[in-house]
Amino acid sequence: MRVSLKWLKDLVDVTMPVEDLCDRLDMTGTKVEAVHALGAMLEGVVIGRVLTKEQHPDADKLSYCSVDIGAAEPLKIVCGATNFEAGDRVPVACVGATLPGGLTIKRARLRGLESQGMMCSPTELGVGGDASGLLILPSTAPVGASYAEYAGLADTVLELEVTPNRPDCLSMLGVAREVAAVIGADFETPSGSPSESGEPASGAVRVVIADADLCSRYTARVIRGVKIGPSPDWLVERISAAGTRPVNNVVDVTNYVMYELGQPLHAFDLGKLATADGAATITVRPAAPGETIRTLDGQDRGLAGDTLLICDGSGPVALAGVMGGESTEVSDDTADILLESACFDPRSISRTSRRLGLISESSLRFERGVDPDLAARASDRAAALIAEVAGGVVAPGIVDAYPGEKPLPELTLRVDRVNTILGTALASADVVALLEPLGLGVVAADGALRVTVPSFRPDLEREIDLVEEVARLHGLENITSTRPGGRERIGGRTPSQRTRARIAATLRAAGLDEHIGYSFGDPADLARLSWDLASDETLVELINPMSEEQAVMRWTLVPSLLRAVSYNQRRGVPDVHLYEMGTAFLTAQGRKQPKERLMLAGALTGSWSRPGWNSPGGILDFFDGKGVLETVMEALHADRWQVRESVRGWLQPGRSADVIVAGDVVGWLGEAAPDVLDAFQVTGPVVLFEISVAALLKAAARASILYRDVPRFPAVTLDIALVVDEAVTAERVTSALRSAGGNLLESVRLFDVYRDAPGAPGDARRLPVGKKSLAFSLVYRAPDRTLADEDVRPAYDKLVRKVCGAVNGEVRS
Amino acid sequence: MTIIDDLRALETEALAAVEAASTSEALEATRVGYLGKKGSLTAILRGLGALSHEERPEVGRVSNEVRTAVESALEAKKAALDGAAREGRIAAEAVDVTLPGRRWPVGRQHVLHEIVDEIVEIFAGLGYQIAEGPEIELDYYNFTALNHPPDHPARALQDTFYVRDLSGDRAVVEGESDVLLRTHTSPVQVHVMEAQKPPIYVLAPGKVYRRDVADPSHLPQFTQIEGLVVDEGITFGDLKGTLEHFVHQMFGPERRVRLRPHFFPFTEPSAEVDVSCAICGGEGCRSCGGEGWLEILGCGMVDPNVFGHVGIDPERYTGFAFGMGAERIAGLKYGVPDLRLFVEGDTRFMHQF
Ligand SMILES: [Zn+2]
Repeated sequence: MRVSLKWLKDLVDVTMPVEDLCDRLDMTGTKVEAVHALGAMLEGVVIGRVLTKEQHPDADKLSYCSVDIGAAEPLKIVCGATNFEAGDRVPVACVGATLPGGLTIKRARLRGLESQGMMCSPTELGVGGDASGLLILPSTAPVGASYAEYAGLADTVLELEVTPNRPDCLSMLGVAREVAAVIGADFETPSGSPSESGEPASGAVRVVIADADLCSRYTARVIRGVKIGPSPDWLVERISAAGTRPVNNVVDVTNYVMYELGQPLHAFDLGKLATADGAATITVRPAAPGETIRTLDGQDRGLAGDTLLICDGSGPVALAGVMGGESTEVSDDTADILLESACFDPRSISRTSRRLGLISESSLRFERGVDPDLAARASDRAAALIAEVAGGVVAPGIVDAYPGEKPLPELTLRVDRVNTILGTALASADVVALLEPLGLGVVAADGALRVTVPSFRPDLEREIDLVEEVARLHGLENITSTRPGGRERIGGRTPSQRTRARIAATLRAAGLDEHIGYSFGDPADLARLSWDLASDETLVELINPMSEEQAVMRWTLVPSLLRAVSYNQRRGVPDVHLYEMGTAFLTAQGRKQPKERLMLAGALTGSWSRPGWNSPGGILDFFDGKGVLETVMEALHADRWQVRESVRGWLQPGRSADVIVAGDVVGWLGEAAPDVLDAFQVTGPVVLFEISVAALLKAAARASILYRDVPRFPAVTLDIALVVDEAVTAERVTSALRSAGGNLLESVRLFDVYRDAPGAPGDARRLPVGKKSLAFSLVYRAPDRTLADEDVRPAYDKLVRKVCGAVNGEVRS
Repeated sequence: MTIIDDLRALETEALAAVEAASTSEALEATRVGYLGKKGSLTAILRGLGALSHEERPEVGRVSNEVRTAVESALEAKKAALDGAAREGRIAAEAVDVTLPGRRWPVGRQHVLHEIVDEIVEIFAGLGYQIAEGPEIELDYYNFTALNHPPDHPARALQDTFYVRDLSGDRAVVEGESDVLLRTHTSPVQVHVMEAQKPPIYVLAPGKVYRRDVADPSHLPQFTQIEGLVVDEGITFGDLKGTLEHFVHQMFGPERRVRLRPHFFPFTEPSAEVDVSCAICGGEGCRSCGGEGWLEILGCGMVDPNVFGHVGIDPERYTGFAFGMGAERIAGLKYGVPDLRLFVEGDTRFMHQF
């Protein structure tokens, strides 16, 4: 809402500086979003008196003038206008001034003579349509004074943020009432009654409202014999300050009264409305199927069934509260006016304006709710003004259909309730003093207050609404700060939240950065990843996505990470280690809300760090990813998990594994497949993993920790290298060693894998073809004594026999 | 030459040899040459048996002297040589301490989660539990139960993301679906109040979604932190004091806080909260747009209609709620000029925080 300070001051006695007024409005809930100085555009435009006017020696159509602007020296100005003489007073734009059209005045040479400014036409100053010559000012205009100040153009416009609960503040009247209440001043309600004569309006107009829920009130007035033309300056100035361009005197008055009182009005050309027996019948009704209307902007519009229409005997003539129709528009030859002042249902207007994409000052006000009590007063005010600025005779009476009339609501406000909610100690009289200036009727009764709510405050429906009024007028800054006592409260993170924090901290300690990507997903990523959804899984589709690439909710965090890797690589950052903990979404036929699963995913590429003078900076591969998972599992004390070779479309075969906890596949890890690298424009290798956080939490929960004695006696360590077939996995050998080790075997650690180089000549081969050697370190320890080699030798020999049998291997000598 | 003269000569020679030895190996050879099994002093001592009874004590005494002298010289020389060797080794092992160390990469938490954690710590310290809720919500939890009227504009397809409903239901409120991406963390309030009786002190951080085109000041996805307190005797003063405590913890005790009345459907009275500008201290400057204040959150007393939806008696209990954006706070705290940096995953950006 744009509020002209000049206009405001006509209605309410504001004496404080603008800054203080803005602060006060801010602190009572009407935020001042901006303050514009109107007329600031005309800074540098002063009143000058033409001293001499001579013919330009080298240009027939130019004159060369000397102009007094109250400075020591008169200005020399070259001018193209002809409608002035020496002695005339005119507006002069000095060097440096910028005019409303954007022209900045500079010293210039025109046909050899220097011009030190510009004398201006009304158009150049933005104060009227006449471009034919200079604006000649009265001889009383003070030479040297600011033109904007002299002409009364200087004004301040406050841009107010009006919250949806305050439709009353979409008018000067409402703002004035609010300002008066918050600064403790008096205000005046603008009003006006037209002098009426001629045939009564009731003879010329009948009003039928089909549905009182959609239109609670419709009033019509008739003004005969108007003369359409431009509006007087004061009217142009006011509606321009409010942000609307002038059209003609009648339309300008309807806009003026809308800004002034908050009542949108519409003027029909009465002569263009269909009549029967000399009277037009206005019907307010929803559109019938197939109906159309051509609106003021020349568009033909098909109408949906619940569009509220204003119709005459021949059909629709306006979209109620949104836009008028072309056929009954006020034009230059209009003589008789039907003035509509009505109250339409906010929901209906909002639906129509959104559906048709027509948002107007009128529809905005109806959407928020217009005071039904206002319709007749606004009609009176507008009729009087039309008669004043456009001539014409106002027909006696107002045709008023008011099926939705309701008594004013009365609310009970308990003063102790106010204090309970606000933490204040206000007395009953304090509350009354705060509420009354808002226009509320307040009476004390039985320890409470009976509050009558005026019709312009539809937001005040409940006791709590009144508490809010008390709060904001008392001032939130005057409420003492306290903190809740809160018995029986328990705070903090849940165990699951704490474990998740530990997982994240471990990943960061391992060198991974946290990424947060979009939760949106690209359905085309299914193909890019060769990702097959299970038969009972469906992507979560957005009905109104921002783009094709964000048309669904992500079902995996992998694309988000791959795109971040690509983003970094393209900017010359080769070493990227990312993790993300976020939601993955999937749904299924028959489901309403999708399944949300919290996932942990990671992507590693490049090296842990650039090669240094003393560190090699090796390229990250599968085992770096696996190492990260192992580190996380160790941090969680989760030791019952394993990986198993697997095939996944987006991973390189042979470097792809499932992560298994308690027999369930809960995630996977591996190196991205070459096709995936290409599809995401990523340079490989990139190690990826994704694992269900719920599974990690379960794996962590399983590890119940109990003290065990720290070893007190030294161990015996024996190494063993076993030659086995390539197909025998490290895990198989390790578990064979564990199960055959006996109770003294404390731990088994693989420390070397040896293979002959592929294609090595026979004499360079140290193993049979198709074999590899796995070397383990076995630690034997007894809890109660120091072991000697001889003590473990029998167990060791038994282990060798059993393991060689179990994995079809032999001890490498 | 008496045997004593021989011993003294040998002593002189041996001491000179010890003195001359420049390495541990040479010293050892010297020792073996004089005191070893076949050493020259050993040979002389072996010859003592041939001496007369009278000569023996004197020769014995001298030879012991000689032996002791040589041995202590050897010992002293050995210590000197060892010391020199250690010093040599130390000198050889000296490094340029300004060379870079062997580094392990440092992983960084995302700055938004760092902000969230900081806020969580502050409110956990005030006795708040940390609550979470689904990111895909029903209209009921996101709007209706939070006192949004059926025609509230936030429900519009142009503002809120809707999700295809596969259950076969038809939406009553907006279009074909009443399943949506939550537009704020406030639905968590409703879930908590449905599940739990007062006293309720919860903080709910999480992702929220609104249909904005990503640009320097908008993202279609951002991070909110919601707070809710429901208890007996909770006042607006409690809300104010709580938020002042939060601001002082988060931004510093010198920052001032102001609450401006505002409107939200699910709180009443409602307010927006401003923090005094760090740069100008409230005077108004370029970075705060001349206002002196920076808006950081919205808050208010829980609307009785919200209590009505979850069956909490508004006459017995009162409460307050507040919500803020992590992106906004990170922007204010670190001066991040473009919100898109938060989702791009540029590690050079991530490592700044
Ligand atoms: Zn500032």
